[in-house]
Formats: sequence, C-alpha cells, structure tokens
Amino acid sequence: MPREIALGDALVPGLLVLFVLALVALALLDWVAGRFGLYRLVWHPPLFRLGVFVCVFGAFALFLI
Amino acid sequence: MSAVNPTAATAPDTRQVVVETLREEASIWLFVVKTLVAFFATGWLAMRFDLPAPSTAMLTTIIVANRQAGMVLAKSFYRAIGTVGGATVAVGIVAAFPQQRDLFLLALSLWIGVCSGGATLYRNFKSYAFVLGGYTAAIVAIPVIDNPPGVFDSAVARLSEVLLGLLVSGVVNDVVFPSRMRDVLRRSAREQFAHFVGFVRGATEGAIPRDVMESAHLRFVREAVTLEDLRSSVIFEDADARARSNHLRLFNQRFMAASTSFQSLHHLVNRLKRARRDRTADTLVRLYAPIGEALHVPIEAGMGARVLLPRLADARTTMRAQVSVLRATLDDAQDLRDYDTGASLLMRFVDELHAYVDAAASLQAPRIAGGAAERVRFDRGNDWLGAGLATFRTTITMLVLGIFWIESAWPLGSSAMLLATIFAGLFATTPNPTRVTWIVMLGYLTGMAMGFICEFFVLTQVDGYGLLIVGIAPFLAVGLVMMMSRRLGSFGLGWSMGLAYILALKNVQTYDPAHFINDAIAQVVGLGAAAVSFVVIPPAIGSAWLRRRQLARLRGQVALAAEAPLPGLRHRFESVNHDLVSQVVAQTQPGSADSRALIAWALAVHETGRALIELRHDMARREVASTLRPYLEDALRTLARFYEKPDPAGYLLARDAVATAIASVGEHEGHAHLLEHLHLVRMALLDGESVLAAYMPTAPLAKEIVHAS
Repeated sequence: MPREIALGDALVPGLLVLFVLALVALALLDWVAGRFGLYRLVWHPPLFRLGVFVCVFGAFALFLI
Repeated sequence: MSAVNPTAATAPDTRQVVVETLREEASIWLFVVKTLVAFFATGWLAMRFDLPAPSTAMLTTIIVANRQAGMVLAKSFYRAIGTVGGATVAVGIVAAFPQQRDLFLLALSLWIGVCSGGATLYRNFKSYAFVLGGYTAAIVAIPVIDNPPGVFDSAVARLSEVLLGLLVSGVVNDVVFPSRMRDVLRRSAREQFAHFVGFVRGATEGAIPRDVMESAHLRFVREAVTLEDLRSSVIFEDADARARSNHLRLFNQRFMAASTSFQSLHHLVNRLKRARRDRTADTLVRLYAPIGEALHVPIEAGMGARVLLPRLADARTTMRAQVSVLRATLDDAQDLRDYDTGASLLMRFVDELHAYVDAAASLQAPRIAGGAAERVRFDRGNDWLGAGLATFRTTITMLVLGIFWIESAWPLGSSAMLLATIFAGLFATTPNPTRVTWIVMLGYLTGMAMGFICEFFVLTQVDGYGLLIVGIAPFLAVGLVMMMSRRLGSFGLGWSMGLAYILALKNVQTYDPAHFINDAIAQVVGLGAAAVSFVVIPPAIGSAWLRRRQLARLRGQVALAAEAPLPGLRHRFESVNHDLVSQVVAQTQPGSADSRALIAWALAVHETGRALIELRHDMARREVASTLRPYLEDALRTLARFYEKPDPAGYLLARDAVATAIASVGEHEGHAHLLEHLHLVRMALLDGESVLAAYMPTAPLAKEIVHAS
C-alpha cells in the first residue's frame, strides 16, 4: 500500500483514502441492513456497526492494494 | 427506606419519586461521562496525530454534546458539511485577495453574513451547517492573514481537527449506552395517532366548542411539526428509521390533511347549530356516526392501526349507502344544500382518515411494505426579509470589528473577531439572542476564570496525560452538569466552551499568564460585540414586526391555494401552513391576544384554502363550461386579494363574487360537484364567530379578535 496518494498534486495519506472508502462501504451495508431489518437480529446495532466498520477498514487496508 | 415510610400507601409513591430522580440523575451523569470520554479520547488522538491545535478538536466534542445520540449524529453531520464548505470558501477568499486586507475583510464579512442569513431559513440542524460554513471560513482565513500561502495547511488542520472530534464523539455517543431518540419518535407518532383517533371518536356527539377545537388544532399542528423535526434527527441514528423515513413523512402529510378536513367539518356543524338549523346538523351527525363506531376499539400498543382499517372501510361503505337515505329525510332546499356540502366534506374526511390509518398501519408493520412510498416533502414557510436582516447584522458586526482590528493594530484582534463570528451566528436563530448571549458570556467568563485556576494551579503540578485528565475533568464536569439543567443550560455551555478554549491544550503546553489574560480579554470583547450587535440591530425572530409578516404570509396562503400550480399543492399548502403556525406559536405567549388572533386566522385560512384547492382540482378534472369559468376565476381572485389584504370593501367583493359564482353554477347543468366547495367557502365567509366577522358590514366589530393587520 502506498503511504501517500497524490490527489490533484496534494499528497493524501493512503490510509485516509481507504478510511473514506470504508465509510462509503459501511453506508451501503448500513442501508441494506436497514432496508431488510437485519439490525433486529443484533443485540447492540451501533456496536455491531462499529465492528463491521473495523472489519471492512482492516480488510481494505490489508487486501485492497 | 421502609423505616422512612411508615404507611404502606405512601411507600410506592416515595419510592417512585426516588427512582425517577435517580434515573434522571443517572442520565445526566451518563451524559457527563460520555462527553468527558469523547473529550479526552479526542484530545489524546489529536496529540498522537500531532495536530496543530488539539484544543479545537476537543472543543468540537463539547459543541456537539447532547444527551440523545441521534442529535449528536445529526449535529455532527451538518457540522461536517459546514466545516468542509467553510474551509473551501476560505481558501478561495484568501486566494482572491492575498494582498488586500480591506477587500479580504469585506469578502469574509459578506460570506459570514450570508451564511447567518441562510441559517435563519432553516429550523433544525441544517441552520447549523450554515453557521459553521460562516465561521469556519473565518477560523481558517484569519490566522493566516499575514501568511497567505499557509491557508491550505490551515484549512487542512482545521478540517482534520473538527472531523476527528466529530468522529470520536459520534462513535462514543452511538456505542456507549446510547440513549435512543427512536423510541421518542415512535412514542410521539403513536401518541399523535391515539390523540387524533380519540378526538375524532369523541366528536361523535356533534358540536365541539370553538375553544376546544382551537386548542385541539394547535396541538395537532405542534404534533405534526414535532414529528417532522424528530424524524430529521432520528434518521441519523437508526438505519431502520431511515428506511421508513418516507413512510413517516407520508403519515404526517396525511395527518395534516385529515385534521384540516376534520376541523372544517366541525365548523360546518357548529355553524348550522348556531343558525338553529338543527335538523341538518343532526342529520350530518347521524351520517357521521359510523366513523365513531368504527373507531370504537381500544388502541393498544403494537397492533392499533391495522385493526381499524377494515372497520373504517366498512364504515365508508355504510356511509355511502346512507348518504341518499338520509338525504331523503330532508325537504327544505337550503337544508339539502347544506347537507350536500357537509356530506361531501364528510366523505372526503373518511377517505383521508382511511389513508392516514393506512399509513399508520404500514408504519407499525414489522417489515417495510414495498419500497415505493410516495415521495413527499415538508415545505417550510420562510421569511426572506428576516434572513436579509440577519445577513446585514452579521456583516456589519464583522466589518466594525475588522476596522477596529486594523485601526488599533490589536495583536489579538483576530481572536475577538473569531468569537464574535461564532456567537453572532450561533445565536441568530434563537428567539431571545440578547439574553442568551449575555448568559453565555457570563458562563464563558466564569469558565475562563476556572480555566485560569486549572491551568496555573493544577496543570503545572501534574505530568502525563492521565493526570491531565484527572486535573481537568472536575472543572469540566461542573459545566457539563449545568448544561443539562434547564435553567443553567446556556451558562453551562458558556462555561464548558470557555474552559476548553482557554486551556488551549497542545502537545507542548505553554504556560504564559500574560497571553492567557490577553486572550481572555479578546474573547470577552468578541462575545460582547456579538451581544451588542443583537441589541443594536434587533433580531427579527420573535419581534412583533416579524409576527405581523408571518401572519400576512399565513393569509397569503389562501392566494397560494387559489393561484399556485396544482401539482403537489395540497401538501405544499398544508406543510407551509403548519410550519408558519408553529413558528408563530413558538414565539407568542399562549393565550395572548396575538396568539388568539393567529389561531383564528389559521383556522379560517385552513378551511378556505383547502376548499379552494379542492374546487380547483374539480375544475381541472372535468370540463367547465366556458360561460361559467370567468365567474369561478373571479371568485378565486377576489378571495385571494381579500385574504392578502383584508378590509371591509374586499370582504364585500369576495362575498359577492362567491355568491355570483354559486348562482351561475346553479344556472349551468352538470356542475353540481363544484357547488359543495363554493358553499363551504361561502359559509366560512359568513361565519359570525370567525376572524372575518371584523370585516362584515353589518356585524359590530368582534371584541374577541384583535385586528391583526
């Protein structure tokens, strides 16, 4: 993974870009879960969401680039 | 406990009181603990990341602090938007005027003014995004005024600090013992439903006194607006609520429509009774009876609405069958005419009630039924002149402070200017900003005094982040506890912000009493400037002037109903009406002459406006004879003019135009369906108890109703 990515000549930390991408992915998953009521199956939805985010972000950082 | 309560009868009461007090206290302390956790976690992260001003990030967590997780998330969302927008504009302004301090200050002041004007146009956290957009630009641009190339770094630093603070407090509030607004939303939706259904059921007996009707109307309006406000925050905390957001809007729209029809129906019955036309009134009440029976089931939590649906459908069929049966019992021409008007209104009400109950049922269903909920909007009634005034005030404040800064070459002038920006923007939308700003200023001063003690007597003794937390937490906790009490809320906010700001925590803490005191003075000057600006150019919100304008706007709603393009007009009319009424209600004393005049007007506008919209829908749906159309349009036009500018002459014109329209409809074959709406309008015009009585030529001026224009 490159440490820094140049966006319009501004150097941006690679992790930050992945963080934003992970947020977008989380928003998608969240929408799906809300649409189909999957959060009913979970004890603590926000905690679960945070956990999912950690997984997504970690997976992106490890495997994406 | 048992020793304290000797009698068994009082024991549960006392225990309940104790339990409730403890619960209240617990929720306050939970808030304090959560805010402290967010505050110090943010500070620690900001220091680890080596951000230039960790104190900004920490201050952010205090600004968004709220007991409800949804409020924190909603506020954070809009704060993020505002910050990004403001930082972008700041870079633009600095790039445009790097060498011209006068033009730079002018552009900045204008931008801040426009933002605070925009803030008055919204009533929830959206207004906050505007305020943020304004003062973030100042925060980013002012410190680099001597070093324009540094603006990009300044913008990035500010962005990362604020976003870090938002992220941490969002996560903490969402995850650690969240207190959910979803339940409040669910409860208030259910209460709205139960109230309304109960009220409709209770009205089976017929006449409801006018004051009961007025207070009920007021409550319905409040409930509709509260629900909309809650919805706009809850969608941030709960994916489930977000998915149902459109259903909820639909539910609210249908509620507004049904409650309007319901109250016009009751005014009709009341009028008939007053005119001693009991026969028609009783027949209408008899026609209405099936609804009361259909609703006569206890509404229990969880099931409620769905049970009502088939019963209402049955009632509707019964009523359809009965319309002609009951009509046959009447013979007088006038009775028949009034009966037809009432019956068509009643059928409209049943349809709307059914739609409303249907929306409630689909809302209560565990699964979301079909994704295709109708797209609806809640339109607001905004006042552009009030917004212009806010723009003007903020711009002038900024310019005066900026000129003072330039002329006096005050080293900390930027600090004063920043704070003035923040507070002039933050409090421009509160009803009584002068008082609030003074209280916050007092709190701010006290907080800074506490900060002095904390920084120079406590922090100098300690080492390491853990001890820093221990050293600051007690000082901050006092302010946070005060934030939660109703009386000291603004004082506590000032206290916490002053403390967090003046400590200016950073990686290598500097202890400089002289700078500390200079900065404190600058802060107070900035706050004072904001407070003075509110005195010099009084805010429009809450003033008699704005109220008059809002009332005029409310009356103008009839013109909207008579002349605006038809598609979506029903929803637009209802939601703008409700928003306007609730704005004025929030700004008037309950029971005062102003508030009574307002409610009286609101009822008249609601009734006439809805009838006009239905009339226009019917005119658009079917062909209208070309010889008839001019009369109808004339009636619409004169009514619109009369409501825009009520006076006795306009009243006569409107009354005659409606009468002519009714007569000419009678002369044409096959247009009877238009007659009902026109009769409704005419009866509203002739109602001696309504606000219009003041304009009637024969009636003496009603004492009850204050001449509102």
